Amino acid sequence: MPRTGVPGFWRGTLRQSEAGMNTGWRSGQRWMAAMAGVCLVLGALLGVQVRSQQQRGATESGRRAQALVGGLLTGARIQVENQQAEIERLREQVSRYEKEAADEKGMTRLMKEELQNYRVALGLMPVRGPGIELTLGDSTMRAGDTFGGQEVYVIHDWDLVQIANELWAAGAEAVALNGQRLVAGSAIVCSARLIEVNGVAISSPFTFLAIGDKANLMSALNIRDGSLDRLRVLQFQVKITPRDDIVIPALAVSPKYKLAQPVTKETSK
Amino acid sequence: MIAIPLVALVVGFTAVYLFLPAIPAEWGVYVSVAVLAGLDALIGGLRARLEGVFDEAVFLSGFFVNMVLATVLAYLGDKLGVEMYLAVVVALGIRIFTNLGRVRGLLIRARVERRA
Repeated sequence: MPRTGVPGFWRGTLRQSEAGMNTGWRSGQRWMAAMAGVCLVLGALLGVQVRSQQQRGATESGRRAQALVGGLLTGARIQVENQQAEIERLREQVSRYEKEAADEKGMTRLMKEELQNYRVALGLMPVRGPGIELTLGDSTMRAGDTFGGQEVYVIHDWDLVQIANELWAAGAEAVALNGQRLVAGSAIVCSARLIEVNGVAISSPFTFLAIGDKANLMSALNIRDGSLDRLRVLQFQVKITPRDDIVIPALAVSPKYKLAQPVTKETSK
Repeated sequence: MIAIPLVALVVGFTAVYLFLPAIPAEWGVYVSVAVLAGLDALIGGLRARLEGVFDEAVFLSGFFVNMVLATVLAYLGDKLGVEMYLAVVVALGIRIFTNLGRVRGLLIRARVERRA
């Protein structure tokens, strides 16, 4: 038996050896086997815990931290790149205008193209592209369960506003809620027991369609303690599916401007 | 000989860490209290060994039963809306420290006696 720092510890026990009651090698082996077995189980449990914690860190808080740091680092560079691209684009546009201003046909074609872009931005045209589909079903919980009355277990207008906000923040290029295109002037408000979007009443289940970078949108929605996390705690049926081809409809009623007047160089003076 | 339990610990850890998928986030707290209960039993066993009252049956049953009990308490607490796992963590934490203190005392005493 190799000696350890403590005599009698591994062979037997202090009192037993003192009293001459040392149970000897056999009991020493059995005690070691018990210890080893327990350590094996304990090690396995630690393995489970560490592994899951790492995975969780990587998928949630890690993703958020990564997004933040990455955003900070690359934000400035991207901005510069974007502005350079914008300068390039404008320069090109100017030269094209100059070149095509000569014949009227070219001019109308250019204006048509530009008009097309604005129509997309204003939601006047349906668009398609890759993105995600998010459905929000009712909670399986009912009034009186754990968290409170019925008002806790229904989806409110502000829940939808938060989600739309998160989608825009994650870079969504076009968003629709239950078939209603969301644009700059879209309001999501509570009206009686229904929710109104663009003045059209909608009800549960709510389906968001968003065109944008699938991974970005997914991770933004799944952020820890985000609005979806909170809805999941209340057992709402939340389902996010990435899709390669999403068609988002045009705005049903185009916006009208009665009071707002465009400011041009002449009118601003 | 002290290496055997340590090797077992490392083997158990590595095997699970490498080959088992991660568990759902909600189970995290249960595994934590189970680990704590296991640690408590382990140190309790060391202390019993040093005091000469070690018994495999008591040790092994204590290890598994306490682990299950701690997990069940934490789970029940969740279901009842009481954070019972805190009680488990505090109770086991105190026991672990007490037992570690006793083990330390016994080891130092043994060393002193050997020198004398």
